[in-house]
Formats: sequence, C-alpha cells, structure tokens
Amino acid sequence: MPPPEDLRQPRLAAGCRWGGSEENRVILFPEGAIKLQGTGRQVLERCDGQRTFGQIITELQTQFGDADPAKIRDDIGKFLEQLRQKRIVDY
Amino acid sequence: MVPNPLALIAEVTHRCPLHCVYCSNPLQLAGTTGELATEDWIRVFQQAGKLAMLHAHFTGGEPLARQDLTELIGAARSAGLYTNLITSGIGLAEERLQALVSAGLDHIQLSFQDSREASANWIAGAKAHAHKIEIARAIRGHKVAFTVNLVVHRQNLDHLEEMIAFIEQLQPERMEIAHTQYYGWALANRAALLPTRAQVEKAVEVVAAAEKRLAGRIRIDSVVPDYYAKYPKACMGGWGQRLMLIDPAGKALPCHAAGVIPGLEFENVRERTLGWIWQESDSFRRFRGEEWMPEPCRSCDRRSEDFGGCRCQALLLTGDATATDPACTLAPVHYIVEAALLEANSGAAVSQPTSAASFSQLRQQTTTLWSYRTNPE
Repeated sequence: MPPPEDLRQPRLAAGCRWGGSEENRVILFPEGAIKLQGTGRQVLERCDGQRTFGQIITELQTQFGDADPAKIRDDIGKFLEQLRQKRIVDY
Repeated sequence: MVPNPLALIAEVTHRCPLHCVYCSNPLQLAGTTGELATEDWIRVFQQAGKLAMLHAHFTGGEPLARQDLTELIGAARSAGLYTNLITSGIGLAEERLQALVSAGLDHIQLSFQDSREASANWIAGAKAHAHKIEIARAIRGHKVAFTVNLVVHRQNLDHLEEMIAFIEQLQPERMEIAHTQYYGWALANRAALLPTRAQVEKAVEVVAAAEKRLAGRIRIDSVVPDYYAKYPKACMGGWGQRLMLIDPAGKALPCHAAGVIPGLEFENVRERTLGWIWQESDSFRRFRGEEWMPEPCRSCDRRSEDFGGCRCQALLLTGDATATDPACTLAPVHYIVEAALLEANSGAAVSQPTSAASFSQLRQQTTTLWSYRTNPE
C-alpha cells in the first residue's frame, strides 16, 4: 500500500476520534488508543478530510523551514501509510 | 498512587438470548433481580470519566437485554468515554440501532459463530445466524464503526478461510479472530472446543495470509490460543493495571473470571467509588505488581510483560490463584495444560452440527458433547 497522493484528503478512519485532555491528546479506536505528541499530533490534527495531502505537506514544510522538505514529505507519507494499515487513517 | 485505569468493562447483564458453548461468563450467573439500576450505571460512567478512563466496553450477557441501553450509552458518551457495544445483534432492529448511534455509540462489535448457518446455530444453541446477517447489513447503513468477532475452536477452525471470506463480505472495518478462552462454560466444554495443534498451526497461516490480502481494508486482530503458546497471556494487561470490570450486580472485578477466586472480597459500586476501589481495595491490590509472585515468575525476565499470566486460569486449573499460570511452559504445573493438549490431539474428529425443534431438545441431543450456557434465574 502506497503513501497518499497529493490530492487525497486524509481523515480519521471510521471508529477513530480524538479524546483525552489537551495535555494528553489521544486518538481513540475500538480496542485502544494512541497518544500523540509533537509532529505526529500536528500531522493528524490536519487530517480533517478537507486538507489535501499536498496542503498538509506544504503547511508542515513551512513550519519546519530548516528541515529537508523531501524528508518531511517522505516521513509524513510513511507515517500516514502505517496508520492506514492499522485502520486509523483513511485516504 | 497507581495510574488510573484505561478502560471500563461494563457487564450490564448476564441475560442472553444465545447459549454459546464457548461463553466465558461464570457458571454462576448474576440474576436479573440483583442488576444495577440505570442511575447506578450512570454514576459509574461519570466516575469513569472523571478518572480520565478512555473506553466503556458494554458487554454481558447480551447488553441489548437491558431496556435502558440507549440511555446508558448516552451517559457513557457524555462522560467522555469511547463507547463500544459487544453484541450478538439479537434484540437489535433498525429503530433501536438508529437510537443507539444517535446517543453517541462509537463502535459495534457483532459476534458470529460460524459462516455456515447450521453450524452457527448449533454452536449458539439458537437460530440466530440469519438475523445476524440482516443486522450486519443494517449496521453498515449507519455512521458507526463496525467489527465482526468470530470465536474459533475445534468445531469451526477447519473452515477458517471460508469464515474470513464470509466476514469480508459483511464489510466491517475490523475483524477479530478470537481463539476460545477456557473460562466458565468454555472450560466445562473444553474437550469439544480445544483445537488440535494442526488446526492451530493452519489457522496462523490462514490469518497471516488474510491480513496481507486485506491490509488497508479490514484490520484483523487475533486472540491467540494460550494453551498452545510458550508463555501465558498478559491477562487484562496485568491485575489492577489497566482495566476494571463491573459485573451486572455492581461488583468491581480486576478480571472477567475473578469472582471464582476464594478469599477475595469484591467491592460494589453501590457502596464505593471507582477511584477508591482502584486505589484502595484489597481485591485490586492483591495481585498488583510483583510482591505476590511465586517462583519461577518472581525471578523471570518476562514478569513485567505477562505478569505470571491469568490468576483466574491459575485457580481454575490448579486450585491455587497464586500459582504460575499453567499455560506457561515454565510453570511447575504446565503438565495440566499438556494433559489437555494430549487429549485434544488424540481425540475424535469434529462433530456434525445437530439441529432440533427447540432448545430443550437440542440440549438433550448434545449432552454427550457439551453443555449450553443457560440463563440466570
């Protein structure tokens, strides 16, 4: 399964939603939860089904201006691909 | 202070329209008259929310047997919990399904007993299969996450591929292939349910192939057969570590079957808060951590991973709740499990499904094979 294409609009998969508290944000799914902090949280908060993968990448590349843009794209693509395997994200 | 529990297992009733022979409920079921009232459960969910617990798993028995289930789901969701309904689907029709989803139900886990109708109804002791298929279709018409659960054992494992294909066309996001856990009725029926080693090995291959084929479409979660494992399961993520179960009468248990352990007094949510029970009660502290452990657990490298296995299984198989879980190959009494496996691997072949006009006839016709789960008084 490939990472998302630029025009895809990643979103949380059915049965997954945000929970926990502001300091302890988690994504809840049927049999568990994952705690999200830092970049992972920033990526998933943008997976709202509205933004395209291309937009998400651009926003984060801007935010992390000093990092290699190609690496940012690659890392986020792999991250979302893994979450799709687990049925936490769809795109 | 011990970190708060992550999830609440709300065993809201022991009443059930099915009679599954693999049921892990205790043989001594809680009766209807002692069940918690609606307001008791609502208070429990509010307390769970304040403890920052994340999930409420509604189970039973059949949770739909409670007429106030929609209200309970709504209360749990309002308290901030992720709500999961574990159901047979019996008692569910379009209108009630709509009400549950509107009340905030996040996820439904629907059980199937088999892909083949005759066998499914024989295992469940009820003509339920056709209705379950209808309900699965209805669920797909709603905005709610959907898991199909299949309990596997000696009588259905030979056609696991067919069962996975059957589940696939019901289009859940997730399927759970759960090997039978030998508690309660399942333990009483173990000789008919315990698979052969060849069946288990084949099942591992079939599940791995299905996981690969369905990746990104349907997630498969498996519950492994601990009798065939090298080490025991990390039951409940450790006693009093992650989960709290409330039984229909309001008793707070650290594990589904903990009620069988003699000498332990379980607190009731009618008298105590969840927070107090979790932090202070003797029952939740009894097997928490490593103090209670015997050898070889006490000096074992894996003691912080599997916590010596399941206390209830230790009691059920050895008569001693403090023993190393006999499912562990390092346990001094592992021979108990080995003896069961020896029998399972030399025993007769799979039985043919039986059907009958009524449940009482079915029970009579199958007495030599197994006992169906009956309902509480």
